[in-house]
Amino acid sequence: MMPTIFVLDVPEFLPLVEHAREAAGLVVSGPRLGYWRIDGKGEIRVRRKALGFKPAVWHGALTGGLVGEVAHFDNDELVVVDADAR
Amino acid sequence: MIPKPALPLVGVHHTARPTWKLGETVHFYRDLLGLPLVHAISARGWGPDDHADFLHFFFDSGTGSTIAFFYYIGTEAPEFVTPRDDYRYRATHTAWRVETRDDLLACRAKVEAAGIEVRYQIRHEVIESIYFNDPNGYSIEITWQVRPFTEHDVDDARRTLDAAIALEQAGRAGLAPFSSIDEVWKRKGAQIAAELEAA
Repeated sequence: MMPTIFVLDVPEFLPLVEHAREAAGLVVSGPRLGYWRIDGKGEIRVRRKALGFKPAVWHGALTGGLVGEVAHFDNDELVVVDADAR
Repeated sequence: MIPKPALPLVGVHHTARPTWKLGETVHFYRDLLGLPLVHAISARGWGPDDHADFLHFFFDSGTGSTIAFFYYIGTEAPEFVTPRDDYRYRATHTAWRVETRDDLLACRAKVEAAGIEVRYQIRHEVIESIYFNDPNGYSIEITWQVRPFTEHDVDDARRTLDAAIALEQAGRAGLAPFSSIDEVWKRKGAQIAAELEAA
């Protein structure tokens, strides 16, 4: 199993999708049903500063839903891993 | 399609809260913020409760909306309406809308020029807001919406609330405590993944 996050296809979350397209180990597909899908090979690790997200948007960055477990989420970085990895 | 309200509503007429600082409240809204005082009722207490004599007064907050206050003569503020510096208290607040970011910044400048402390300016997902308190300790927000809501917002809101309500119900039934937003994200993600699989 790979961890997955779904990102609502609206402008304020698009930096997350654009970042994932360029990131090694992340695969972007969609949008389908209104969501971009980001699959991670092993883990999905994102830093807030890389996205340019303000804190309020950052702390809601996973609002589209996920498959896996949030292993870490603070003001600077979030990590989603496969549920079996924990 | 974005659903429309089932009631023939055209926005907010007024919100109303009690005040025990009459002079300060009128000065703040009318003189400092410049919202015209457009209506005031003064009345003997009436109705089934042991109701104090009162004033009920309204300030124009644009496009037909007002912010209103009650002043109950000769009463003390009960504990349950005493403002406190707590996010759960500030959850009850009034948010006024402006049309553009320039208008928001103009509001900020006017508020600060009046000597009112702006607590925060925050960019949220679809709105950007400034926050300040009135003399009662009530939280006021002024906001502009960056984009209109879309069908994606509507669908997503339904998914989020469906997941959260299911978790709330499970918690009430004693099955599993609803203790973190992660549970909503996982439930929602599982639902979307299943729908994609089936599509």
